[in-house]
Amino acid sequence: MSTEQLALNLPAAVQTRRIRLGALALPLHYAALLLCALLMTFPFLWALAVGLSKDPSGIWRFPQAFWPRDPGWYWFGRVLNEIPFFTYVGNSLLLSLCTVLATLLLAIPAGYALAHMEFPGRRWLFGLLLATLMVPMEIGVVPNFLTLSQLGWLGTYGAAMLPNIASAFGVFMMKQYFEALPADALEAARVDGANEWQVMWRIAVPMSWPAVTTLAIFTFVSAWNDYLWPSVVLSDRMKMPLAVGIFHDLTGPFATSTSLVLAAVVLAALPVLLCFVFTQRWLLAGVMDSRA
Amino acid sequence: MARPGVRPYTGILFVLPFLLPFALFSLWPLLCNLWLSLMDYFLAERATAWNGFANYVALTESDYFIRGLKNSLLFLLTVPALQIGALGLALLVRRALPGAGWFRTMYYLPVVVAVSVVAVAWRYVFQYDGLLNSMLDWSHLWPGADMDWLGRPQFALYAAMIFAVWKNVGYYMVLYLAGLQAVPRALHDAALLDGAGFWQRLRHVTLPALQPVILLCTLLATMGALKTFQEVLVLTGGGSDTITLLMFVYGAAFHGQSFGLAAAAAVVMMIICFAVAAVQFRYFGQKGIWGKEV
Repeated sequence: MSTEQLALNLPAAVQTRRIRLGALALPLHYAALLLCALLMTFPFLWALAVGLSKDPSGIWRFPQAFWPRDPGWYWFGRVLNEIPFFTYVGNSLLLSLCTVLATLLLAIPAGYALAHMEFPGRRWLFGLLLATLMVPMEIGVVPNFLTLSQLGWLGTYGAAMLPNIASAFGVFMMKQYFEALPADALEAARVDGANEWQVMWRIAVPMSWPAVTTLAIFTFVSAWNDYLWPSVVLSDRMKMPLAVGIFHDLTGPFATSTSLVLAAVVLAALPVLLCFVFTQRWLLAGVMDSRA
Repeated sequence: MARPGVRPYTGILFVLPFLLPFALFSLWPLLCNLWLSLMDYFLAERATAWNGFANYVALTESDYFIRGLKNSLLFLLTVPALQIGALGLALLVRRALPGAGWFRTMYYLPVVVAVSVVAVAWRYVFQYDGLLNSMLDWSHLWPGADMDWLGRPQFALYAAMIFAVWKNVGYYMVLYLAGLQAVPRALHDAALLDGAGFWQRLRHVTLPALQPVILLCTLLATMGALKTFQEVLVLTGGGSDTITLLMFVYGAAFHGQSFGLAAAAAVVMMIICFAVAAVQFRYFGQKGIWGKEV
């Protein structure tokens, strides 16, 4: 076979091979997808079914447990009555939104400077950022506790937020994205007389929207779900965010009734699940953007 | 890249608002731990006294610390498990089949829910009259199963690992999905044409191209494994020989009131983190994951 013929036959050969494989594998592929989906979601489905079953007698029997028996909102009503659920949600919202805002305000200029400016100590800063990325933040729990107690801020939202807002990860992400922006656009703004601050907020940030939203959503979710640090600094129950408060309640006085606990689990997971389902288009797109 | 008209201190001004809290809450704790670990700390007087290496000696004599160290290192088993699971899921949902987006979303769901919330549900799955035993009974794999998965030291830590993999696999799946997009299509087609099977293509085309993602994911998963705290706290409360390093740090500081001992354990943890990171960089190469070098 000559080279030309081979080149002509190439796409067709690849095509047939793919189709043959696909036809064989498609049902199996869906079966695998479905099986994994069941594995990944069964605790949620079970908790939901248990929460909806007014009659808890069948909740331990597989597979009947996945179908609500005598369905009703009874347990959810009890959770809302007995746990200051909306106080927790409000606290979580306040804490998470402030953390997101502060993180973005700090990480954007720092990332921009690392990407587009020369300043003394830049290499040092980069190295330090790298180093702190290698160790988990939780290692600092004791020194940070001492620092904040020295400042007299224990028990405040400021203390619960502060150690989380200087995100090395966020600076990295913004730096990577800013570096990939077309230099011409930034240069044009400079030629028009914009200073660096204006170039950043008016040109670079709007062009980096995927990175900004991804960082915002990531920060929000991790602040919303954070347990260790807020539980160390906040002791007043009415100030606790959802992840801390509900956990204390579930392992304390409510642990006696499985239905009550699982209904509370569903309620506690619901806000962030809904939030995710609505934002997943941007979130997954942002993560999958090769630059971010 | 110095720009004409941008003075050197402009960059510093841009970085400063980040740098202050970063230095105070991320860098200072690392140094402070080193310093504290050589001290006796008296909480009431806020006084410190040099005690040599007594804290480190105390660590080697502490049964809890040794177990915590052993368990945290055992937890590193989740790192390869997560990579294989995540890559498998990513390969599964990569093709643009109808509904693939929904499956991606479902696989990601455990990631967004707080550990302190979902682990509570898992506790009821693992308990002796729980859902797992009921499933085993129903499937006839083990009729009448009544194992207390979280109460037995042989199983409890592995149960926590299973939970940790379930909780985090979606996160790495997304990172691998992103990496898979960067694998050149032409290489794949060429390998197909040469008659390479699925495993051969995976081994010789996909995996080499994924190297930077593998490095990133193993680094993140290693850190995640070494800082295991809440998974175990919720599932077993640290009983059944499941205490971890970070639980020891937390317990020594906030229940035992010995901040020096806690700091020494944190230093050990930090050294392990750096050592493992160094090994991974050497093994998977440094190219690419942090973008352009400064």
